Amino acid sequence: MEIVAIQVLNSLFYAAVLFLIAAGLSLIFGVMGIVNMAHGSFYALGAYVTAWSVAAAAGVFPATALFIFLPLGAIAVAVIGLAIEPTLLRRFYRRPEEYQLLVTFGLLLVLEDSIRLVWGGTPRTASGLVDSLGLLQIGGLPYPVYNLAMIGVGMVAALALWAFVYRTKFGVLLRATAQDRRMAAALGIDVGRIYSLAFGLGCFMAGLAGAIVVPSQAAVLGMGVEVLVVSFVVVVIGGLGSLEGALVGALIVSALRTVTIQFWEEIELAALYLIAAIVLLIRPTGMFGKKS
Amino acid sequence: MDKELMQERRGFLKQFGATLGAAGLGAAGVGTAHAAAKPKGNIPNKPVKVGHITFLTGAAELLGGPGQRGHVLAMEEINAQGGLLGKRKIETIFADEAAGTDANVKELRRMKLSERIDLFTGVISSGNTPALGPVAEELRVLTLFNDGCTDFLFDKAVPNPKYAFRVTNIQSADGVTAAIGAATHWPKVRRIASLQPDYSYGRNVFEHFSLALGKLLPGIEVVSESWPKLGTTDFTSHITKILSNNPDLLITGVWGGDYVAFYKQALRYGLFDKMKVATTLAFGGYPHAIGKDHPEGVLAGVHANYHFLYPSAERWPINKGFVERYHSRWKEYPSFEADGAYVALYLYKQAVEKANQLVGGWPEDEAIIAMLEGASIDSPAGYLHIRADNHQGYKDAVTGLSKNLPGYDFPVWDPASIVSIPIRSITAPPDWPKPGKGHNESTAAADWIKKTWPAAQA
Repeated sequence: MEIVAIQVLNSLFYAAVLFLIAAGLSLIFGVMGIVNMAHGSFYALGAYVTAWSVAAAAGVFPATALFIFLPLGAIAVAVIGLAIEPTLLRRFYRRPEEYQLLVTFGLLLVLEDSIRLVWGGTPRTASGLVDSLGLLQIGGLPYPVYNLAMIGVGMVAALALWAFVYRTKFGVLLRATAQDRRMAAALGIDVGRIYSLAFGLGCFMAGLAGAIVVPSQAAVLGMGVEVLVVSFVVVVIGGLGSLEGALVGALIVSALRTVTIQFWEEIELAALYLIAAIVLLIRPTGMFGKKS
Repeated sequence: MDKELMQERRGFLKQFGATLGAAGLGAAGVGTAHAAAKPKGNIPNKPVKVGHITFLTGAAELLGGPGQRGHVLAMEEINAQGGLLGKRKIETIFADEAAGTDANVKELRRMKLSERIDLFTGVISSGNTPALGPVAEELRVLTLFNDGCTDFLFDKAVPNPKYAFRVTNIQSADGVTAAIGAATHWPKVRRIASLQPDYSYGRNVFEHFSLALGKLLPGIEVVSESWPKLGTTDFTSHITKILSNNPDLLITGVWGGDYVAFYKQALRYGLFDKMKVATTLAFGGYPHAIGKDHPEGVLAGVHANYHFLYPSAERWPINKGFVERYHSRWKEYPSFEADGAYVALYLYKQAVEKANQLVGGWPEDEAIIAMLEGASIDSPAGYLHIRADNHQGYKDAVTGLSKNLPGYDFPVWDPASIVSIPIRSITAPPDWPKPGKGHNESTAAADWIKKTWPAAQA
């Protein structure tokens, strides 16, 4: 029984991380029409910045106070995103999609190498944060309170994002721009600013995912590319451009992964792609994707 | 430790001629500075061009980085003495193995055909040596792989090598070494769980570990298998699954950043309190990649090759000198890849010098190859022998239990726990049939173990 409970929590933690990444990916695509290949690398960057700042502050601040450095990864990535959109991406909106894929893929390579240049190849960790919150006993098996807290962060982020997009004036402008960029511009909406902020917000969420993962796992080279592939499976299932799709897709992918790991190890990887293929066959735009 | 356990251990070690603890090499080292004989004949002063492909980016940089640094250290040392045969300096072109197998093959062709390299070295991945080996033979470029240790390379891909050699131990030795280490330290384990990266290396480790352990201990039962994708960092579901099957022992070939992420999660999920843990590559990357929070008493594998504290400084000064020079050059301690890449270049130097003494002038590749076949060299890891029949390097396999010792800000081996196994005890002998020749096991080693190792007695 305790195994089931812990596996459910494991699955929810993984889903929270996947949701943050996939929601950012979907938001950027939904508003700007760009498939951001560098999105996984923003996630990695968030992980590295958080690990680095927590390690730098570890001697100075008490363990629990280190949590103030956790969002630093997300903030740093958002700032970088806000700088990249007007300087780099803006030049490619009018060009065919393959240019956008190429430029974001190039960005992925540049970011991966920059990470290695700045932080080297040694895995970075921030496990002090996990230890400072202690362990919960679930039927005799320990479970880190930190992971539980981060599932909460994932839920809050999902709610906040929903409220932001559907309940604020900015959200209205965002959705208007997503539906018809020219009409929005003609109505006097500063489309350039909306694009920058949407990209920055998407990057913030990727950075936040990296920041919450790094204390429980580690920041390692290549982690961005690894997660990018799984996030694409999530958005393929949920529908690229849809936030609800990102949430449902993340829950399906993580639950399926946990179930196959526990009961049918051989098909752990195959199962993910199989379900993505089935969704694509039945609903090519994904479960919540708009028909184009 | 109880008396019965002690006796069981002695039994194991005797069976393999293996040793436990800091003993091991019999003779004191001979030191690095052999008085080299004066080169014969006319040596051109044109540099020797070397190609080196290794992982410079991505997760496997943890292995490739030290390999590159080991190579550069050897190159600098040799060049500081005036170069090969006192005349020819070494110039190396590096390329990133992370570009993928096809790109590596193209790069090797480019290095040979347009850069005119004299020697090719490096390569970490077992996916790449079987692709590069046949190309090296076709291009006739002398090749010293320093890893990519799959049995498949010389069992099947290049069964009769002429130009291709490999210095690190054969892959099947890795799983077998972990099995002997586990059986030596924990003879009571019966229920085995396995966590392996889902590619050829993980499959090889699991197969040879379970095969060997099944011969060493009675009543071995595999109760849980997990095959995470290489590059996975979320292991929580795998860990919970392993815990749900109540094993006595976990064997894992997970390595690099994946291993760091794994042990951090396993620690907080209480996995190390519930079972013994044996690994093949926990100490395979840079030593400082593993934190002090790593549990003690884990069988911390080094790919059955080399850990910088063994052989100990008093018994084997060659290692002491190498570790000191490497540390002062790179401000870190060497890994088994650093040792492999370093030794590969010195092996080449030794063969060139010997061939020069015989034929004079700069020797042809054929003469260098003749000197490499059956060569022995005193390496930092101990004696390394290159078998003439399959061009494969053999040295005693080692593993040990992790411990935090003062003086290092990362865990190292407990000196008393180091198991050193003569390589001939765990690898198929030269004339043993290769897969497809009278048996269909995955490796010659697997067939040899199945047919010749006595079954464990209860």
